[in-house]
Amino acid sequence: MRWPFPQNAVLGWGRRLAILWLTLLVLAASWSCFLPSQALAPDLLNSNEPPLTAGHWLGTDPNGQDVWTSLLYGGRTALLVSLPAAVLTTGLGTGIGLLAGYWGNKQLRFSLSYWVSIFCSIVSYALFTPQSNGITAAWWPFLLITLAVIAGKSLRHYSFFQHQVAVPLDRLVLAGISLLAALPRLLLVLAVASAFEPTLFSLVLLLTLTSWPQSARLVRAAVSRVQQLPYMEAAHSAGLSPWRIIRYHLLPNTWGPVLTTLPLSIAGLISLETTLSFLGVGLPPETPSWGRLLALSRLAPSSWWLLLFPGLCLLATTLSLRQILPISTQRNPA
Amino acid sequence: MVRLALLRLLQLLFTGWTIITLLFLLTRMLPDEQQLLARFADTLADATVSKQQIEAAQQAVRLRLGLAEPAFYLSYAPATDQQVLSARWHWNGSHNQYHQWLRTLLQGDLGRSYRTEEPVAELVGSALLVTVPLACLATLFITGLSVWLGLWLAPRPRVGWMLTGLYALDALPLFVVALLLLLLLANPDYLALFPTYGLGMEDEAGIGSILNQPAYVVLPLASLIVTGLAEPTLQLVASLRHEAQLDYILTARAKGLSQERALRRHALRNALLPTLTLFTELLPNLLAGAVVVELIFALPGLGRLLADAAAARDYPVLLGGVLVALVVRQLTLALADWLYQLADPRIRISSQ
Repeated sequence: MRWPFPQNAVLGWGRRLAILWLTLLVLAASWSCFLPSQALAPDLLNSNEPPLTAGHWLGTDPNGQDVWTSLLYGGRTALLVSLPAAVLTTGLGTGIGLLAGYWGNKQLRFSLSYWVSIFCSIVSYALFTPQSNGITAAWWPFLLITLAVIAGKSLRHYSFFQHQVAVPLDRLVLAGISLLAALPRLLLVLAVASAFEPTLFSLVLLLTLTSWPQSARLVRAAVSRVQQLPYMEAAHSAGLSPWRIIRYHLLPNTWGPVLTTLPLSIAGLISLETTLSFLGVGLPPETPSWGRLLALSRLAPSSWWLLLFPGLCLLATTLSLRQILPISTQRNPA
Repeated sequence: MVRLALLRLLQLLFTGWTIITLLFLLTRMLPDEQQLLARFADTLADATVSKQQIEAAQQAVRLRLGLAEPAFYLSYAPATDQQVLSARWHWNGSHNQYHQWLRTLLQGDLGRSYRTEEPVAELVGSALLVTVPLACLATLFITGLSVWLGLWLAPRPRVGWMLTGLYALDALPLFVVALLLLLLLANPDYLALFPTYGLGMEDEAGIGSILNQPAYVVLPLASLIVTGLAEPTLQLVASLRHEAQLDYILTARAKGLSQERALRRHALRNALLPTLTLFTELLPNLLAGAVVVELIFALPGLGRLLADAAAARDYPVLLGGVLVALVVRQLTLALADWLYQLADPRIRISSQ
């Protein structure tokens, strides 16, 4: 007996609506760049007005700012944070996962002479600094690099230094992943973001550096699956360079699962950004954000419009981002 | 076996130490010191104070916050003009903030709050009295409800709308759900079914358990459950449906078991395996959720402590709270390993 359960209850129009909403969001966000600079100026005569007030047809918040304009700017902020962060996260995670999966713990080997010489020059760079700053100080790293190469080459004549020692790349990546998994992402980002005043750039960087493990894990798993296949063996035995194998043989066969999780990761980043803004540790207070608008609704508990409109925007955006995936991969257990 | 467990313990300790050290150094080195001093200094009322007086006052604040000593064993030494190469770092010996902090930490002392000067351990302890029951109740409810709901939904193909509803709930951030509940059900303008804020025990000095105040806990608990329920349930339904198509269920049905019984007795155990991680991650994730929920409902718990500390740059309190979350997370990771082993003995614990 096979139960003919439908795999998912999502209809075709769902995806169409999702694409429509996302297009509208992108248009609105880019339109907000052309709004006059006073668009967000508080209208002190009409603060905390309900919707359908003349001039503010979605109402105003307790500071007198127009809700509609704030929504537009908030959408732009959400996109400006989440899109670069998602792309960078996916890129970084894919890169790390590819390298870790391809070289593993034993494949990336250097002879002991290079280990010793590189180690010595890194230590001396870390310990000593040249007297002047600026471009003239560059002689010091240059000297060290040259010395490292010369020492590495000349030491190789001794048989003791010809041992090949592998970089435990996979183990290092796993250690990094378990380090970042030691705390829930919200707490980690909260703790780090409170240590400095985040700007747009540093927030994107922070989100990238804390969110890469997910895609790295996916790619690493995909690579270890693909590496068993005969065509990889053929590529190896044809003597292709590692770069060529990774770029043309591994990457096209492993980025499928990562690309399908890209919209999910955008959605996750949007809700993380709004939560941070809501908690008051995200972007600087003057940056409009849906989270900040939602936080304002705590100041004016009876102003339902401060909760409804940004909440609906968030819901529509995250739902649309999930909906545009092909149906079969929607609940892909990562 | 014992060796593996010890190795695992060492690994957990190392991870915890690394991350708390990194956070300590970040919070001691990154913030602008002048801003921090201005934030926690008593404002100087008189505008005509001399420069020395300001310096002295700042030094006093530094001493009070424990910021007078260098932050780490090494501090950056600016290059001097005398030599061609000079040392990049200055060695501070054990007279540094990190050494002191770690020593007191090992004695169980988490330091004092920048703002109120209260010992952090006490703050965290009293906050845990609120958060632990809340998080544990939410975990129990979510686990029970999602298994029950999953079993109920899996054999019913006509309840797609419920899945879509769960799906939509999963898409909303927790703070939006909590705000919605607050606005709808605890608002004198609409429906004042539940008390809005706090635990209603300002007058009683004691820190009675929040279980004595059920009405105050309903909404926070509900928002945690509603947002946490969707993901495990959807996973469980998907994996139950997958299991239901396998041959052993056919065998069970052929033996004459009812559909429900076959699902509950045979499919559920196998279907739970892929969702086990989700269930063990519930507790640490609920701690993160508590940050939002306790802030919104003004519960004096760990999450609110963390959120306030982060917003007010009160780093000792923040690190203390993070340490608790870290310990909980590491424990649940170990628990997850153990549960996997228990559920499927074929899975071997690898010591890496």
